[in-house]
Amino acid sequence: MANDALIEFKGVTVAYWQNNMGVFSIKDLITHRKNPFTTKTILHDISFEVKRGECMGVLGRNGSGKSTLLRAIAGVVKPQVGSIHINGSIAPILAIGAGLETELTGYENIELLLSLYGKPRKDVDAIKSIKDFSGLSDDVLRTPTKTYSSGMLARLTFSISVANDSDILIIDEVLAVGDQGFQHKCMDKIYQVKKEGKTILFVSHFPEDVKKLCDTAILLDGGVITHRGGAPEICDLYQKLF
Amino acid sequence: MLYLLIIIVVFKSQSNIDNYVLYATSGLIFWIFFANVTNQSIASIINSSGIIKALNVPTVFFPLSEMISELFNFILTLFVFAIAMHWFGIQYSFNLLTIIPITILFAVFTFGITLIFCSLNVFFRDVGILWTTIQPAIFYLTPIPYPEKVLTDRYPLVVQLNPIYYFIKLEREVIYKGVFPSGELWLQCTVLATGMLCIGYFIFSRLKNQFISSL
Repeated sequence: MANDALIEFKGVTVAYWQNNMGVFSIKDLITHRKNPFTTKTILHDISFEVKRGECMGVLGRNGSGKSTLLRAIAGVVKPQVGSIHINGSIAPILAIGAGLETELTGYENIELLLSLYGKPRKDVDAIKSIKDFSGLSDDVLRTPTKTYSSGMLARLTFSISVANDSDILIIDEVLAVGDQGFQHKCMDKIYQVKKEGKTILFVSHFPEDVKKLCDTAILLDGGVITHRGGAPEICDLYQKLF
Repeated sequence: MLYLLIIIVVFKSQSNIDNYVLYATSGLIFWIFFANVTNQSIASIINSSGIIKALNVPTVFFPLSEMISELFNFILTLFVFAIAMHWFGIQYSFNLLTIIPITILFAVFTFGITLIFCSLNVFFRDVGILWTTIQPAIFYLTPIPYPEKVLTDRYPLVVQLNPIYYFIKLEREVIYKGVFPSGELWLQCTVLATGMLCIGYFIFSRLKNQFISSL
């Protein structure tokens, strides 16, 4: 059973150092004279498996640890306790604007992320497919991404992420800001990716989307998995609870 | 450059070292390398917070890339320096080639310090500002533009506790005096460089998993 598991979490606990005293400089530290860091557990004893080709939805309230869970999968956050096994490549996290350098232009960002994924920077086909999919014009892509609206950022990040043919696609709340046309385009693309047998982790506050797309789902609350099972049941539960 | 000229003009009249220009500039180029690397990379982790948050890239690459680009600059400087110092009485010999291991040792030492500063800077954002203010003090406490005797006669501890002093001394043996440095000096510098790298990497690896909570 463990062989076909693409993502395997075993008793994972993730804790952040939380600096809730407002001590952000040596000056503050000297006047404050206490250790300003408290350890805050974000995820507590999380265990689950995602099989190849499975599409899992992650539901939960704001601050329940969804993004931290995705970061742990992406390897950006290391667990304090427990182990994470990933057998495959992961596309960048699709939070709005994450991974983009705001000072660089759209084109430079595309090149940067392509090269970080071990592809040639000047891969013309890849750049063109990203550009076509995002629907952003040449002029827009030549301006620094700090001038982009959140919808434009979402378009760019989504396009870059699906262009890397990784085994695991992580989608974190991006679709909320795009316009109708782009949302449909994205959903179509997600279904296409799913048909190709890739694994998708889908975070959304819309249980309807999760129900349509996902096979299984987990419900996070306060850093623990409270419920786990088929997508429809979990979505109904989510709507009932919150 | 202007800074360099002023130092040379002011201190030259005050000190009675022969071949003063070679003495001062040989120390200065190493100091400038040290100052550039630390200043450039101190904010390297904060500046790449977007990538660190989204991708699983070894964090150590960010200060390392700054360091390597500065090292490349430094190597070019060394070539120009070697040619320009022809008019200020540098003695060309095979001893000059020992500048290669010296540069590597100094780069390792600098990288160790850099790792400490750039990781602390994530949690306390004024580390970078403090470092830029402390830096001139360290510069004038290191016998770079003036003879060592000024400090060693009266305050030997100030020099002995300054790790950069040993590297400046090592490099001056080669460039200024044109001799092969003593084994003792080599040993001191190697211990300092590896020690600083170990301390730096230890602090860095203890803090690196929590960078994300403060970025």
